[in-house]
Amino acid sequence: MAQPHFRPRTGILTVAALLVLTGCGGSAISGGQDDRSGSLKIGVIVPLTGPVSATGTALRRGFELGVKKVNDNGGVNGTKVEYVVVDDAGNPATSTQLARRLIQQDKVSIIFGTITGDTAEAVARVADDAKVPFGTAILGDTERCFPYQWGFGETTRQMLTPTIPELIKKYGKKVAIVGSDYNYPRFYAGVAKDLVKQSGGAIVAEEYSPLGQADWQPVITRLKDAKPDVALSMVVGADAVTFSQQASQFGLLTPGLGFEGAPLDTDYYPALSALVDGRTHTVRWTDRLDDAESRTFVADYRAAHDFDAPIPEVAGNAYFGIQFLLAAARKADGLEGPAINTEIGRLTFDSPLGKGTRFESANHRLQADMLEVTIKPGGAYEVSKKLGRIPDTTPKTGCA
Amino acid sequence: MLALVSRFLEVKRRSQVDVLLAILSLFGLYGLITVGIAVIFAATRVVNLAQGDLVMVGAYTAAVVTGPAFGWRAVLALVATAPLLLLVERLLLRRPLADGLATMLVTWGVGMALRQVVELLFTSTSRAVEPPIAGTVTVLTTPYPAYRLACGLIALAVIGLVLLVAYRTDWGLTLRAVADNATMAALLGTDPRRVRTVAFVLGGLLAVLAGALYSPVLAVNPTMGFSLLVPVFFGLLFSRPGALGTAAGAALLIAALSVLLRVWMSDVLAEVLFYLIVIGVAALRSRPWIRRFSSWLSRIFVPARAS
Repeated sequence: MAQPHFRPRTGILTVAALLVLTGCGGSAISGGQDDRSGSLKIGVIVPLTGPVSATGTALRRGFELGVKKVNDNGGVNGTKVEYVVVDDAGNPATSTQLARRLIQQDKVSIIFGTITGDTAEAVARVADDAKVPFGTAILGDTERCFPYQWGFGETTRQMLTPTIPELIKKYGKKVAIVGSDYNYPRFYAGVAKDLVKQSGGAIVAEEYSPLGQADWQPVITRLKDAKPDVALSMVVGADAVTFSQQASQFGLLTPGLGFEGAPLDTDYYPALSALVDGRTHTVRWTDRLDDAESRTFVADYRAAHDFDAPIPEVAGNAYFGIQFLLAAARKADGLEGPAINTEIGRLTFDSPLGKGTRFESANHRLQADMLEVTIKPGGAYEVSKKLGRIPDTTPKTGCA
Repeated sequence: MLALVSRFLEVKRRSQVDVLLAILSLFGLYGLITVGIAVIFAATRVVNLAQGDLVMVGAYTAAVVTGPAFGWRAVLALVATAPLLLLVERLLLRRPLADGLATMLVTWGVGMALRQVVELLFTSTSRAVEPPIAGTVTVLTTPYPAYRLACGLIALAVIGLVLLVAYRTDWGLTLRAVADNATMAALLGTDPRRVRTVAFVLGGLLAVLAGALYSPVLAVNPTMGFSLLVPVFFGLLFSRPGALGTAAGAALLIAALSVLLRVWMSDVLAEVLFYLIVIGVAALRSRPWIRRFSSWLSRIFVPARAS
């Protein structure tokens, strides 16, 4: 029997190198409606496959219900709003191609979506070149600001400004920070360090670990050795679950430790329920808000998608965010991007996110209310305190 | 002063035990998957790119089947996956076996299909599995999560059992014979096709077991197996085809290197250094003079014997 003509060691080495250097690239798919002129068309770029597809799906659902609400109320300037949804699989190269296609072929007037910071920046560059407004709904800060990019998710300062003094008051002054190793967690840590210092606390440990970490024991041991009173975690994705589970198993994450950050988000509740029940978390929107608009949205979301877990915050941000953008489009003269963009910058808009919400011109981030929620068993993120407007006017380069 | 010295020694001993336990735990995970992929490689000369996805299948079985006790869920994962592996080997791998690269790509496709099916059925949201043993145990004055320790010990026992089968049974002898020279083994009356089928199922099941066993310490999601593949491939690269002991040894070295670097420095720096070291070693091993040197060494330590 002949041996196959294959050099096994070379093959293994090639595969190993490929796995180190690459991830799984997602493919682009498209859906949507016919190309009628005269109506406003939105391009939605979201990861519907890949590691962040659950968040992308939530964003898409919130967006679609938001557009449906606008269309049910007569659309924009008498015509129904159309949209095209494409899947970037969380890959910035794909996001760039899709953004170009949406602008050049589908002639969209607005782009909405993306989940990760790198895909947001990729789309923002294309949108900026083409002068097409681009709205994001995910929380946190992007690396830089673009004149045509607008962020509806809460900023790091809006999240941490009310949270850190409370945690220090309740648990103690020694704060540890742990995050995944990429730009945003380091930005988050920078903001946290400022606020901890202002609140009279001290940073006793700061740890980062590459994404996809299966074993957190060395990091947890170092964190435990620092004996923190509070841990701020910006460990994201599946790692948020792995880290929190192992931190609990090693006796770091106990009820006596103040804990805030990404693992407390609704996205992770199904996996981490026992570890986060009873804790407080700072958010912009929760599915337990008791106003009529939020109640309707929650009921529609659950009915349309047979969904009984906590509704991710990104869905709420997308639902109210797209209504904000379409209100600006209604005020703009025609469907031209620059006109819509100007109106987005000028608009003040009432929604459950706050009365008179508007964008700060210095950083293009929505100035809206914040809430403190207490996580109840079963995944109810109940509002325990309305924190009111938490401004973030920190200037960013590139907005103008 | 004496109390301080005693306290220092106590802390040092505790951290040493901590490191050893961390290596044991990580070796259990890497070892099961590496020995599994090495069994398949020995018989078929094919790198099973679906090995990480089989880990995911085992973990999902433990996560989504909520009725039976944890041990039975692990057994169920093995029983349910065995026919699937058999089908994959019979229907998809047998024909392209003449071309190693084609077969490898088939296994990549199988892995991709498994990921997509699981994502469609259970979404990509991560899940957690409650450990069947809660609390901590004290190992030489070091408290350690009980289930994590149990995981490492069970994995160690299973790896030992597989090595025992490979080196002390007739089937192990035929596996090594096929790995060494399939044509000669066939001429001497061994059916390489049957050995390949059994090896593929056994190797795959070791990955499934790793997934089920370690599900309470990992986040269970469709792409969880992907990040495990890199250390496993390096383990396979450093082993000799058919010599499963070297695969287990390589997995142990990789687990130890990973843990030690991360104990001594930050995770970020440790990862960079880890890849530099393993790629450097891989490159050095391919140099002819290193090969000759290691061959001489093996002759010194394992003298030739008539058999």
